[in-house]
Amino acid sequence: MHPILAYRGRLGPYLAAWVPLAGMLAALFHLVVGSTWPESLAVAFPLSLVYAFVCLAAWYPCRNASLSAAAFPRIVATQLLAAALSAMLWLFLADTWVVMLAQVPRFARLDERFPRIAPVLLGAGVLLYVLAAALHYLLMAFENARRAQTQALELEVLAREAELRALRAQIDPHFLFNSLNSISALIAADPPGAREMCLKLAEFLRESVRVGGARSIALGEELALAERYLAVEQARFGARLRAEWRIAPEVRACQVPPLLIQPLVENAVRHGIAGCLDGGCVTVVAERAGGAVRLSVENPAGDQAPAAGGTGVGLENVRSRLAAAYGADASVDARREGGSYVVTLEFPLRLAAAD
Amino acid sequence: MTGEATRPLRVAIVDDEAPARALLREYLAGVPDVELVAECANGFEAVKAVAELDPDLLLLDIRMPKLDGFEVLELLEREVAVVFVTAYDEHALRAFEVNAVDYLLKPLAKDRLLLALDRARARLREGRPFPVAEVLAAARPAGAPLARVLVREGSRVHVIPIEKLDLVEARDDYICLHSAGNEYRKQQTLAALAAQLDPVRFVRVHRSFIVNVERLAGIELYAKDSRIAILRDGTKVPLSRAGYGRLRELL
Repeated sequence: MHPILAYRGRLGPYLAAWVPLAGMLAALFHLVVGSTWPESLAVAFPLSLVYAFVCLAAWYPCRNASLSAAAFPRIVATQLLAAALSAMLWLFLADTWVVMLAQVPRFARLDERFPRIAPVLLGAGVLLYVLAAALHYLLMAFENARRAQTQALELEVLAREAELRALRAQIDPHFLFNSLNSISALIAADPPGAREMCLKLAEFLRESVRVGGARSIALGEELALAERYLAVEQARFGARLRAEWRIAPEVRACQVPPLLIQPLVENAVRHGIAGCLDGGCVTVVAERAGGAVRLSVENPAGDQAPAAGGTGVGLENVRSRLAAAYGADASVDARREGGSYVVTLEFPLRLAAAD
Repeated sequence: MTGEATRPLRVAIVDDEAPARALLREYLAGVPDVELVAECANGFEAVKAVAELDPDLLLLDIRMPKLDGFEVLELLEREVAVVFVTAYDEHALRAFEVNAVDYLLKPLAKDRLLLALDRARARLREGRPFPVAEVLAAARPAGAPLARVLVREGSRVHVIPIEKLDLVEARDDYICLHSAGNEYRKQQTLAALAAQLDPVRFVRVHRSFIVNVERLAGIELYAKDSRIAILRDGTKVPLSRAGYGRLRELL
């Protein structure tokens, strides 16, 4: 987009800025050539107006040899060539205009004095073009900065929305209703057990709310949250749900987006364990793989386990959050392996909170 | 509801979660004229319990492993009152609203359960049938073809994955499903099954036969204007003229 023409209200000030330049040009004619003031003004003003528009074309060379992308010698060469061409065009237009003016009795024989104006015009033409090019560069840089800022804002809003959506999806109503039903059942049969489950449920809810507000948390914290979730579900499923954790100690401090692993564990219970008559074991393994962390969640595949590449909402959520946090440095893989369903994440091992 | 020689209501609980069963058991324990005849931890046990114990009423969870509540209902093939028990399920709730079938939401409230028991008693007393077909139709996601066929044999349940189904044959008043060399009988019409099968995979080649297209080995001219299909295992299936047309269209 042209930094002057594409914006309403920029062309006026730009042309206005040419008025003093035109005045200076007239003064130059008056001093160098000795033309009268009316003669000087009659030549300088129309020519300045025309050149103002010629200089708007500086946008093309500015765009081709942009400050950020092009090498310095190329910028200089391009702009000097453009300046020379513009000045020569201007000279030609000036010559035509002076010849036309000479037809008017008042400016008779003005054209005879033109050759002496020519070098002044040529110099002024180059100078004015360079000024205009500088203005274009300035405005373009300004637009770029503004666009970058808007983009950053938009990205932030998007990320925020994704987080909110993740949080809202986080507390699955089934999970809550079923847990409350279990507590209700325990109240008569096992009052201490009921109280314990109340506390476990509250702990899980409190932690997920706290952690959900953070930008990143330690993997160890995230795994603790998943463990709390499993503790609640264990009351419901009893012996049908077992869990195994194999976590390498050196990855516990790695910073991850919050609520990254817990949805995977939840899926493992909802789609895996809940679909097996005799239940099974949810296995979470986290280990270091070079500069990355490899984390997998494995569960016996019930009937409902989605096919490889899964389309589950939870998995999709994890995928987009990983992509938002690490871009191409992270990967998600979901597949059926024999009777098991395994989701594997790989993401960079980062120890300091990324900001 | 004063019990002048009223027979107790025989109830079976079906839920895969032990605490949920315990809660129902506890609620039922204080209710007069109710006899708890079975507690089932999954759909298979439920089918078995109904076949062997003949309860009047099932308190039936919907989300269960392998055989969900609706599939249990489909397999029962007999008059039994059902109250669904569920945490929350849009599909299920819609099905119940359409058919005015009773359902309980978890966490369960005791007075709500008592109300459901009263309604079930009234329904049984008046001999109003339970709208199984309508409930199943409303609960099944529209347009999704069957992924497996369930067959009950006494108190046993066979689950036939759709890709293992070779051939279906209509007999007198039942259908016979052929899968991997075994035969299973099911109380259903061929047309009803055909409507639920994936039309790209299964073709009704004859008034009495549906064939899994992937099992087809060849078609032979048998007599003038009459053809038979040969399946990979050598089984020969007669083709009607319309059936042959449908098959050619698909291939």
